[in-house]
Amino acid sequence: MPSFTTLTYLVLMFIALYFFFFYIVLIIRNKHRIFYYPKYKKLFSLTILIPAHNEEKTIQGTIEAIFNTDYPGLKEVIVINDGSTDNTLKMIKEIMGKYENLKLINKKNTGKADSLNQGIKIATGELIGVVDADSYPYPDAIRKIIGFFNDEKMGAVTSTVFVRNKDTFLSKIQAIEYAILAWTRKILSFVDAVYVTNGPLSIYRKSALIEVGGFDRNTVTEDIDVTWNMLRHGYHTNMCLDSFVTTSVPLKVKDWWRQRERWGIGGIQALIKYRKSFLKHGMLGMFIIPFVSITIVLSMFVFLFSIYIILKKIMLFFFSTQYSLLAKTYIFNTKDMNLHPSILIFFMLVLFITAFVYSRYILIILGKKKGEWEDLRNIFKRMFYLLVYLTIYPLVWFSSIYRLIKKDFRW
Amino acid sequence: MVIKDWIGNRYLKSEKNAFWEALVITILVFLIGLIIGFFLESLNQKNIEQYYIESEVQLLDLNMQQDLLFLNEIDCVKAIERNINFGDKIYEEALLLQKLEDSETLSEGLKVQHKKYDLLRTLFWINSIKIRQSCPDQFHTVVYVYEYEPDLNGEAVQTAFSRYLSDLKNAEGDRMVLIPIAGNMNLFSIKNMLQDYGIDKFPTIIVDEQYKITKIEDLDIVKELVEEKIVSDSFDSGKNSTKTQK
Repeated sequence: MPSFTTLTYLVLMFIALYFFFFYIVLIIRNKHRIFYYPKYKKLFSLTILIPAHNEEKTIQGTIEAIFNTDYPGLKEVIVINDGSTDNTLKMIKEIMGKYENLKLINKKNTGKADSLNQGIKIATGELIGVVDADSYPYPDAIRKIIGFFNDEKMGAVTSTVFVRNKDTFLSKIQAIEYAILAWTRKILSFVDAVYVTNGPLSIYRKSALIEVGGFDRNTVTEDIDVTWNMLRHGYHTNMCLDSFVTTSVPLKVKDWWRQRERWGIGGIQALIKYRKSFLKHGMLGMFIIPFVSITIVLSMFVFLFSIYIILKKIMLFFFSTQYSLLAKTYIFNTKDMNLHPSILIFFMLVLFITAFVYSRYILIILGKKKGEWEDLRNIFKRMFYLLVYLTIYPLVWFSSIYRLIKKDFRW
Repeated sequence: MVIKDWIGNRYLKSEKNAFWEALVITILVFLIGLIIGFFLESLNQKNIEQYYIESEVQLLDLNMQQDLLFLNEIDCVKAIERNINFGDKIYEEALLLQKLEDSETLSEGLKVQHKKYDLLRTLFWINSIKIRQSCPDQFHTVVYVYEYEPDLNGEAVQTAFSRYLSDLKNAEGDRMVLIPIAGNMNLFSIKNMLQDYGIDKFPTIIVDEQYKITKIEDLDIVKELVEEKIVSDSFDSGKNSTKTQK
């Protein structure tokens, strides 16, 4: 019988291989549909909502980017100033004269979900687009999404988010992460399993939003919640990989950590809220809930398991060095080095190489499409992303769970 | 339009086959991986098996020489030289086996090899005892009895013991034979032998079948015994190490 360590390695590798092949199968089957978007058969009227809280630097850019889009059905843009304490309101008012169908809701700070719900109340479009106040959609981004709503059961469609402010190493790593996430989301859309419609640019069917009760104020990630809610109500969600929007990401580790904690808490809140849908309600219960649960649990388990292995090695090194000094013998000899790799190391190497090649493939395709391949091709950054960033990411989950238990939702 | 929708629905349904297809591919790849793993391990085991067979033949040869020693009074120097060379060979093989075992393995094959080697090394120890009886004061036997798969602290202690003994062997060369034996492999003969020598904890070093050292602080006594700085009569067994029961 293999040891506990060996068995654990084998189980983890099986799961990792499974998801890898799952993506590969879907890519092969859908290679011609990855960037596909249907033409709209009806000119849906569209309202764009921009919730803004202290976004003085970007709000004008966001509004202008939306008015520069080429979708002829854009009826109105509603900016909801969510109690900003900086010059956001002033910046909005400055630009209001320029666009006649730009509306403003000025209110106290009650959070993004509530801001969106207030926007929905006065929105007149059949479709409602949500754009974060720091995100700039490409001119054709909205038009490419609309055709997905030809399907009457389509509840929400999201877009590909690229990082705009690649000013620090951290934001460059996030640029790689965002590209891989967008690609993965698109692949999952082929099995009707888009599990989040992101904040930078997503469009919803208004009637569906009203049916599911709008955005939930009690969760910290209303975008995950509303997506799962729509799936529970039998709506489809999709992703248009060819619809681009740029956004700004945290440049400092502290801000990044805070953002990820919020995402983490939101994900866990969604799992708790929709736990009764497990194995029910189509792909929500059959795939998304198990998939997100497995991802969280496994990433934390792998992290702890790695820590256990590393600590064991460190302790062994520490104790054997101590005893070796006591015995007045050497503490290191090249003869001690083990150059007999096992099949498990071979498996891990195969997994790493495939992940490396897979990430390169994604970045080539998306990068070329957007004309940013040069930025994304850096091998060191990709290695860092795969080996360091993803390895330490589970710490965010631990911290999120801790904060969720403590009910500490300060951002 | 209707046909397109129908195709679309069929398409989505067929997409869900991706779950099964991926599972089948994963199982296939995983099985191939496991087969390669078992194959590579069996290659390692075959190598060890080959070394073992050669060593077994050599030990038989040594035994024969030992028997001849009684019949024809053959040269002690040659017998000792061969004995020490053989000891060095199986010590190197023990290190190799240890490294292979330290890699995570899928099968129990190496453990069986380890048991066979432990028996072989015990036979070699017995052979060395006989030679020492016929050719006294020519070399020392240092038997290192350790625990197979110890806990963390035990592993650290055994690492220090191994390093010390490896150092000593390098320094002393032909003055000693180093025989590592795992004491907890559930082998009846080894158990009995260890009982006879009163060994109830690991690691323990037995020098010349007379002294056993169990404490890390006392390792220098092994060196002193091998370098004959302590002679049997003057050695105070009560303080640092104990005389064996035999």
